[in-house]
Amino acid sequence: MSTSPRSDFNVEISARALGPNVPQRIGRILWAPMLVMAVMAFPIGLAVGVIRSNLVAMNGDAAMIAALGHLGPAAMFVGFAAVFAAISFAIARILGVLRQGGGEVQEAAGRAIQTLRMPRTGWAFIGLMAMAMMVILAGVVGNAIVGAAILGGDAGALGQSEGLAIWFEGIRRIGVAMYLVAIGLGLATIIEALRFQAIRLRELPAEATR
Amino acid sequence: MAIAFGALTRPQAGSDLQAPSRHRTIGIALAAAGLMLAGVALIGSIIAGDLAGQADAADRVGSLGAWTFGLTTAAFGTIKLAIGLILVGIVRRIWLRVESVKAALPSLLRAQGGERGALGEYESEFGPATATAVAPRPLLIHRMAGLLWAPMLAMGVMLVYAGFLLSLGAAGNVTADPALSASQRAWVQGLQFLGEGFLLSGVSFLLGTILGAIRAGGGEVQESLSLTVRTLRMPSTAKLFIALMMAGLMVEIAQFAGYAYIATVPASADYATFSTWLGPLREFGLGLLLSGIVLALATIAKALGFQFARITQIITSGR
Repeated sequence: MSTSPRSDFNVEISARALGPNVPQRIGRILWAPMLVMAVMAFPIGLAVGVIRSNLVAMNGDAAMIAALGHLGPAAMFVGFAAVFAAISFAIARILGVLRQGGGEVQEAAGRAIQTLRMPRTGWAFIGLMAMAMMVILAGVVGNAIVGAAILGGDAGALGQSEGLAIWFEGIRRIGVAMYLVAIGLGLATIIEALRFQAIRLRELPAEATR
Repeated sequence: MAIAFGALTRPQAGSDLQAPSRHRTIGIALAAAGLMLAGVALIGSIIAGDLAGQADAADRVGSLGAWTFGLTTAAFGTIKLAIGLILVGIVRRIWLRVESVKAALPSLLRAQGGERGALGEYESEFGPATATAVAPRPLLIHRMAGLLWAPMLAMGVMLVYAGFLLSLGAAGNVTADPALSASQRAWVQGLQFLGEGFLLSGVSFLLGTILGAIRAGGGEVQESLSLTVRTLRMPSTAKLFIALMMAGLMVEIAQFAGYAYIATVPASADYATFSTWLGPLREFGLGLLLSGIVLALATIAKALGFQFARITQIITSGR
């Protein structure tokens, strides 16, 4: 395996078609379990919201209402973290298909096999996705801890409940914004992979067969 | 109108392959701008959370809560619009790749074609597929997707930003007219999440347009070489994607109706009760739409895999 001197793309040359790289293999395995997790978490978040709404309507226990005000968003945002992870993994899977398929076509044609190295947007996609996941989960864990503390009778947690809920909401929201940007970067990487393939395909007929 | 949208997603033959995608560049810049807006809203939330524990600060907390909500949702909408732009760039690149395959493939064949294979349905490595003499017509859902992605994105952005402007009004009225402020906040939430629903629907329709381009492009390539046209049938993930998208959009319309109702009863018990479950409901709707998007992306991966396998088959067997 060696590095190509191409000036327009950073590629690697190999004797055989390369398979998906590690993030792409992880994406292929994990997109479905993450989706299942999301599909389970969203109804739980909705159900907690409905229960809390009934308590509000019946002038129920204030501590329970405050606790569910933390636990409901925690469940809902476990769902969002999972569904954004599923989207990210599905994008990684597409990038893996493009990488492997592009190599196989060149190999079948008997030409030199050039594979695009991961562009900067691809690295940024992975880094931002990991950060976003941690930020959302930090908000979720904060909500879960405060909710559990209120249920456990912690008067201090109940007193600070509103302020903490506002903070955790802010944290979760910035996490969602980061995740959406990460997804945008992943899709931008797909554009680059397609651009490389369109150009590489036009080069193949003029090249000598191996 | 359909022709105009088609021109947005399919570049003219002979377009410059080397030129970097403008949609990609603008999309990334817009997404970064959206992230900055969300950062500003985060600062507002931190201040509001700090004030929440202090006496006599309820109005300031309410005011901060009103505009930070509007700004964050506007930020989400901006980033989703950016994602939409990047997806338009993907559709255009798929068509440029189709042109490249058409141009290169005849020179890459390593075997003579011989007899055409049998026509009809068959089971491929990637699921049920059909073999036809000519390229199949676009599916209804692909035609709808090509027509609807742009109006959905446009309506979504307008609603999200109209809601943001209203949130500024609601923030200003917290002290002077609490009932009006509560009513405006209900409208803000309803409008903005309906907008988010439209934006995610626009993104979903763009993913449908990508699937349509992969299907139509594959057919064009095979037909141009007078080969049997092999096409993947709609996978079950695609059917589920459509169902989830429709369900998610209906939930967002329902939450909008709910907020429109409580906006008329701002000082009532109904307001408190309804707003407690409308929040989770609107998020549940977005969750359905996002789950559908996951399935659309999974379908795209499968369709691309089928297409690569078909190109490889054509090169090695000539048919």
